[in-house]
Amino acid sequence: MAGRVRISIRDLSKTFVQGPREVPAVSHVSFDIRDKEFVALVGPSGCGKSTILNMIGALVAPSGGEIVVDGERVAGAPPPKVGYVFQKDTVFPWRTVERNIALGLEYRGIPAAERAARVKEAIALAGLEGFEEAFPATLSGGMRQRVALMRSLVVDPEILLMDEPFGALDTHTKLNLHAELLRLWEAKQQTVVFVTHDLSEAITLADRIVVMTRRPGRIKQIYDVALPRPRDVIKVRESPEYLREYGLIWHALGEEFQEVAR
Amino acid sequence: MRTRDWGVIAWRLAILVGFIGAWQWLTGIKAISKTPGLYWIDPFFISRPSLIVERFLHLASGNVRLSIWQMALSTVQSTVWGFLVGISTGFVAGLVLGRNDRLARVFEPYIIAFNSLPRIALVPLITMIFGFGLLAKIVLAWTIVFFIVFFNTFQGARSVDADLISTARFLGAGEGQIMRTVIIPSTLAWTFASLTPSISFALIGVVVGEFIGGESGGGLGYLIIQSLGTLNAADMMVALLVLGVIGIVMALGIKQVETRLLRWRPEYQK
Repeated sequence: MAGRVRISIRDLSKTFVQGPREVPAVSHVSFDIRDKEFVALVGPSGCGKSTILNMIGALVAPSGGEIVVDGERVAGAPPPKVGYVFQKDTVFPWRTVERNIALGLEYRGIPAAERAARVKEAIALAGLEGFEEAFPATLSGGMRQRVALMRSLVVDPEILLMDEPFGALDTHTKLNLHAELLRLWEAKQQTVVFVTHDLSEAITLADRIVVMTRRPGRIKQIYDVALPRPRDVIKVRESPEYLREYGLIWHALGEEFQEVAR
Repeated sequence: MRTRDWGVIAWRLAILVGFIGAWQWLTGIKAISKTPGLYWIDPFFISRPSLIVERFLHLASGNVRLSIWQMALSTVQSTVWGFLVGISTGFVAGLVLGRNDRLARVFEPYIIAFNSLPRIALVPLITMIFGFGLLAKIVLAWTIVFFIVFFNTFQGARSVDADLISTARFLGAGEGQIMRTVIIPSTLAWTFASLTPSISFALIGVVVGEFIGGESGGGLGYLIIQSLGTLNAADMMVALLVLGVIGIVMALGIKQVETRLLRWRPEYQK
């Protein structure tokens, strides 16, 4: 695939120290993510995939190796133009839907009129009309995650880090959000790093899938997803290519899950 | 909101009327007939509803040196000031120490020591320093309210969700903006929960201050202690009733404010 390298992960390792014990989470991982690429990290739980994402976002400092984003080594503060969507509900409960989405624009000192216009547009894009003044406590989990997603996107990040953003949602809501995410992504073509343990989610969304081994996480294999775009999240699952990819990656992943179970 | 349950309201009224009726009736029965002053239940100690109303009307009229309204005003003023000063200083201190581990560790023993001190023991000292006026009462209320608010705020400032802070940082927030949009709103939710007990304790502090504070500070506590001197149960009851009304009104007012400020919380959603 063409495009310049945006995120370069070089010999990255992370060991957590828990009292007297040292727990290796990520071990000597190297790969590149190119501009406008949608990459999914999959692997058994505890394989360090979220840790890698947190290191890209500078939430966690690496124990070894480095991450370079746009030619700058990541250290201390989140790299610029990076958005992050957590699995956990991080919508500010004391702010209404529209004031949540406006947060990033407020921080950047965007004038009120422009802010209102962009928030309005984002609310329309996410199908949240009529809920502008609602507090998060009155919304469903899917709607809250939609607010979190739009809050990240409204500031036009070029790189989007997503840590199992739909992990806590039911299948139906999840599929709806997949469709929405693909639609939004195809319009703006952000570089996306998407962590998940749901293989069908990874194949539906990503250009490339990085399969991790069980702890300590290493790269087992990287797969190119050859499905054409734009993808229909329902129909794509019935295509023979999807099933072939699924079988192939499932086999590799299955070995790791078996090891975990043993 | 609960729907109005007329059965419950009727029962409440019945209990109130029954209680006042029994009070009035029982304190009117002579223990030994025709001997003056000897009652089965002596109104000398617990007074009588009719007497209380009579004294209330007298104290509310312009014919007294210090009317019940002036005393009530003095008590309310001191309470409100003690409350406001207490919550603002308690909030700031709780926020600063809650977000600064080292500072919290330095001050911990002093805070625990001062908070363990019975505040009533401070009344004479506070009176000595601040005189027999409004100020001493306000200071006393403040020493109580401060700690209630401080501990709540401290706890709240410590339990700010780290992921919300990260979220703000990813959205481009600087440290000042994180303080303003994440830490303070999140902490305030805890602070607000301490407002209702704070107003009640402010009132307690003020009344205790008035017990000692003397006439210049005025207030309902002064009326109570003065009535003790003259063995006047009816005046005491008047003061207690007015204090009760003040307490209820203030608590309801705070509840309104709290409901408005915390309307985003699930438990306040209609």
